[in-house]
Amino acid sequence: MVSTILRQTFLQQSRSPSIRQISYSCRRLNGALKSGPSHNSVNPDEIAHFSKLSSEWWDEQGEFSFLHKMNPVRMQFIRDRIFEVAQEENPGLSSKPHQALQGLDILDVGCGGGLLSESLARMGANTLGIDASQSNIAIASSHASADPALKPASGRSNLRYRNAPAETLLLEPKRYDVVCSMEVLEHVENPADFLSTCAELLKPGGHLFLSTIARTPTAYFLTILVAEDILGKVSKGTHTYAKYIKPSELLDYFRDYHSPPNNQLKTSPPVSSRPWITSPSSTTYLNRSEADIRGLIYKPLAARWSLAPRDAWWALECNYMLWVRKPKEPYAAAR
Amino acid sequence: MPLSRTTTGRFANRIFRQSLTAQRYQSTGIPSSEVIDTDVVIVGGGPAGLALASTLGSSESIRNNLKVTLVDGGDLSKIKTWNAPPTSFSNRVVSLTNKSKAFLTDIGAWDHVDEARTNAVEHMQVWDGVSDARIEFDAQDLQLTRVNNGMATLTEILNLQRALLRHLDNLPNIQLLHRTKVTSITADSEDKGSWPLIHLDNNSTLRARLLVGADGFNSPVRTFAQIPSFGWGYNTQAIVATLVHPPRGAFEGPNTTAYQRFLPTGPIAFLPLSPTMSSLVWSTKPALAAALQAADPNVLAIMINAAFRLPHLSMKYLHQRILESHAAGISILPDTLRQELQFREQSHAVGPTSAYSSLQIIGGQQGIPPADSEMVPPLVTQIQAGTVASFPLKYNHAETYLGEGVGARTVLVGDAAHTIHPLAGQGLNLGLGDVESLANCITATIATGGDIGSYTSLLRYSQSRYLANHTVMSAVDKLHKLYSTDSDAIVWARSVGVEVLNELDSVKAAMMMSAGADFGNVAPPSWSASGWNIAASGVEILAKATKTAEAVGNTLTSTIGANLSTFIRSTRP
Repeated sequence: MVSTILRQTFLQQSRSPSIRQISYSCRRLNGALKSGPSHNSVNPDEIAHFSKLSSEWWDEQGEFSFLHKMNPVRMQFIRDRIFEVAQEENPGLSSKPHQALQGLDILDVGCGGGLLSESLARMGANTLGIDASQSNIAIASSHASADPALKPASGRSNLRYRNAPAETLLLEPKRYDVVCSMEVLEHVENPADFLSTCAELLKPGGHLFLSTIARTPTAYFLTILVAEDILGKVSKGTHTYAKYIKPSELLDYFRDYHSPPNNQLKTSPPVSSRPWITSPSSTTYLNRSEADIRGLIYKPLAARWSLAPRDAWWALECNYMLWVRKPKEPYAAAR
Repeated sequence: MPLSRTTTGRFANRIFRQSLTAQRYQSTGIPSSEVIDTDVVIVGGGPAGLALASTLGSSESIRNNLKVTLVDGGDLSKIKTWNAPPTSFSNRVVSLTNKSKAFLTDIGAWDHVDEARTNAVEHMQVWDGVSDARIEFDAQDLQLTRVNNGMATLTEILNLQRALLRHLDNLPNIQLLHRTKVTSITADSEDKGSWPLIHLDNNSTLRARLLVGADGFNSPVRTFAQIPSFGWGYNTQAIVATLVHPPRGAFEGPNTTAYQRFLPTGPIAFLPLSPTMSSLVWSTKPALAAALQAADPNVLAIMINAAFRLPHLSMKYLHQRILESHAAGISILPDTLRQELQFREQSHAVGPTSAYSSLQIIGGQQGIPPADSEMVPPLVTQIQAGTVASFPLKYNHAETYLGEGVGARTVLVGDAAHTIHPLAGQGLNLGLGDVESLANCITATIATGGDIGSYTSLLRYSQSRYLANHTVMSAVDKLHKLYSTDSDAIVWARSVGVEVLNELDSVKAAMMMSAGADFGNVAPPSWSASGWNIAASGVEILAKATKTAEAVGNTLTSTIGANLSTFIRSTRP
């Protein structure tokens, strides 16, 4: 019964994807994941959409309240993965989890109003937030300037913002310990190019953190039908179902992904380098030193997000986070 | 970019406004050289404010990350150097639950409390002044993890405040600005998410990431944050005093029993502090409180003894005498009152050797004490000079604990957030619960790099405290209302109700928490809240029974009704 209603609703919604669109989007993604030539991943319509909303970024009870609530959980995931790896590589480490980000160079791609960037900077990371929308960067800078711990004039600030697409940073020599891109993947034009850009901006052994929405009926129901259309909590047009990416697609991308040599601009990757994820897609098992994928669950009664446990694959139906690590030695032969 | 001109114009405008705000802060208003950026500003140096400062100072992650300042208009050094002889006690005493005490121990403040001046409550006697229905609480009924703790610990507020100040002496990162008044609080911009500016009378201004109102019932911080609060006065005044009495005899227990009798005018409570000293909290009608305060201290002592012993009818008559002589401007003499009392006791068949006589020969209690002597507190012989005071009782609960709009980055704790009737001794315990929760919330926010003044991060605090406080507050409020009447029908329901409560272990356990006990570490963390829910629903049932009884009482003829209640009362011990 429910599924019938759901299906009908799908067909009735003017913006809802038809079966053809879904299969198109799969082809689009698969095609995109294999595509070679470099495109700018910025989608002008998406930039216009978020520019319009930019002044809302810091209204904690408004449009972006869900993101504000999600932020501590994202930070917890980022902090714990980095801390865990640091501890594994250096068992004598005496620092505590909340010191894990201190001194790291972190790039926040698609920083929006700076929700994540500010938190990263507060935890001691040298943070650069970039966004393709000039107005987002203006809001992010203005908000940080009201905070004595973050405003650039204070001298102790480790937070900077730039209005630039990620691709431009590839032209510079600087590479990062951590690259984060939160709720951006579902808004970019060319996800495969975007992912490889993020991957190449990392130092060897660096951490990539992504969060996005799975292309499932659950996600359609919650993020578009309920959040945008029924409750109106999120502006219409914020999400496009066809752009959602399934966790398995993202994992498969990194099972195929090999770092290009010397982090130079895209050349064909040497076959000998190890892919970022070595465990086969036939298993749900992920090597804990390579990658981790977790669902984010919203608890309406507590009005709080929480991180699903490691093996909770059911939680990957909607919002989820991926951590994947760039191999330290890109030339090491695959085992 | 496919942006229409109007849209571009609109958002450009917004950005313009935003950057204007930023400029205004930097270039206009108070010269920025005098604005001191601070992370946490606590307004109010009462027990809740000092406890919060101590808690923040005792957490390593907070100490290393945040600049904390406490502002108080009074002279806190007087409290820090407070030194009273062991034979005298301050009249402001609080009952700390074991949970509160464990919390104060955890933050390292309890070590600075002069424990010789505190007293563990081992036993409680609570009874209805009209029907004499009684509930007894014993610390041994509780599976306490630490036996010596009792159900609750009584301490002078000054002893606690002094301990917190001494503790803060060891925490140099917490700045104490005492003898400094807050002249005004303003927002640094008109936009959402503004920062509060706290203007002080020493011509400096603090700009706070988080402003904490721990400034009591008339909280100026609450006013600034435009947080409405909801409540009422009880038309009741609480008289406090330090009482002197002979020690308990060899055949009685030590002075570790707290007594509370619910008179229709309000509850009277006897809180033991030492073998020969105890504290009084007598809630009564304002006119009566004024008359008792104006009377000879010996008259007050006699009235206190009578209030724990004399049947309600005679107590009502004595109240009338006190009120009449006060109105006539004559002070009633202790001897006149004693004669009055003698006559009353004779007519109630209370012999001079009975535990219920207020006229026993003081000091002549050698040997075997009268039967039931532990059902009532020891006879008060004297009131410590200068300790009689009174204050009006109120119920008040802020609509929210978090400021919004111009009041952004503001949070309320303790009495600024809620004021409660003292009959269950919960006021400060709720405040300490707030402090613990807020400190946890701040620690959790720091651990994920959040902004501790942001609405989202503070939501965790208000979620964990608002309903918990509300449950306790409404249960206490209903208890007060239930016991503030002498209507036969309600008294009947009440006596049945209390006796029923006595039988129900779970409800009794919850009621014990009202007196300040806890179940130690064996109980799950949610226990205290659910205990209060049980208590609240117990009181709810009682209130419903009262309404039914009232309805029944109205339909019966008055004779039958009176006979019925007399009959029921006569079957009670």
